[in-house]
Amino acid sequence: MEARDTKGKIIKETFPSEMVSIVGDILAGIVLSLLIISFKSFLLLILIIPALLSLRGNLSGPFIARTSRDFIIGEFNKKTWFENVLATLVLSLLTALAIGVFSILINFLLIKLYIFHIGLLIVIPVISIALTLSISIPCSTILNFLAFKRGLDPNNVVNPVMTAIDDFFTVICFYLTIIMLGVP
Amino acid sequence: MGLFSGTLLSNNERVLYSFPIILLVLPSLNSLIGDISTVLVSRLTSHLYIGTLSPKIQVSDRLKQDFYGLFITILLGLAALISLGYILGSVTGIQIVNPLFIISIFIITILILFGLMFIFLFMGSILIFRKGKDPNNFLIPIVTSLADFLTPLLIIIFIQIFM
Repeated sequence: MEARDTKGKIIKETFPSEMVSIVGDILAGIVLSLLIISFKSFLLLILIIPALLSLRGNLSGPFIARTSRDFIIGEFNKKTWFENVLATLVLSLLTALAIGVFSILINFLLIKLYIFHIGLLIVIPVISIALTLSISIPCSTILNFLAFKRGLDPNNVVNPVMTAIDDFFTVICFYLTIIMLGVP
Repeated sequence: MGLFSGTLLSNNERVLYSFPIILLVLPSLNSLIGDISTVLVSRLTSHLYIGTLSPKIQVSDRLKQDFYGLFITILLGLAALISLGYILGSVTGIQIVNPLFIISIFIITILILFGLMFIFLFMGSILIFRKGKDPNNFLIPIVTSLADFLTPLLIIIFIQIFM
């Protein structure tokens, strides 16, 4: 009985949140396969997208966790939130810059596609991640607050939902960025 | 790792253009294996800290429960992902080429990755725990990045082999 309960418990607890994540990522995939594949510079753009999705996950995940922790231990206030936001923004922008620099290097060494000004490979990830965080940070803060107010553990609820939302908006903001910059 | 994954996709444009459905489901496949692996590491770490799993590389009932629970979850997730992906792909007009072949490739890729990740993470958790460190801090970042790279790599390799 204990073995069956544990297996069933794992499935009951993990599968619903995984479904939320799947839906968000499928929507992100639709944007990729319908909108971004039609760009002439697609082979260059696809270089940046997995790195941006990883960046988003590795930085907004800890932001969500720190906000959850602050709510739970009763230390959430403007100062702690602002410090958290600033740290996340600075780290994200620095990492986006690094993504851009490495993309230029990889293009120079391997892909050798020079369809647009190479400096755009730095600008695109920086603007894209800034736009994504402008949506992700307020959303996750509000979700954390609502989950906490309703007596739920924000750690269990917010992360899978925000993974889905963030992955979708990462790709949307990337698309908006390349449209704004006139990338061919 | 994300840039390596992007480079891999960029250098295999023929596969991407031949099977556009890959781009649609790839973020979900990465997310699925990454999430399940993260849950596994988190559970193993908790078991080790509370003592329900002994820090020895051996099969135990607890380990079997985790394996079967997560294996069934990943099968259900894969079924949902493929169904949703193909339905939305048809509705949005994305070209669906040789669906049975690609579905088989996705299933083989995810099951092989799950098996490899399970063994790697189990052994990694034990070894890191024995050194007095928290496996969560080391393994979770590694496994999410590895999943992002290995998923498209295996898909492309299997397509090249079986096509």
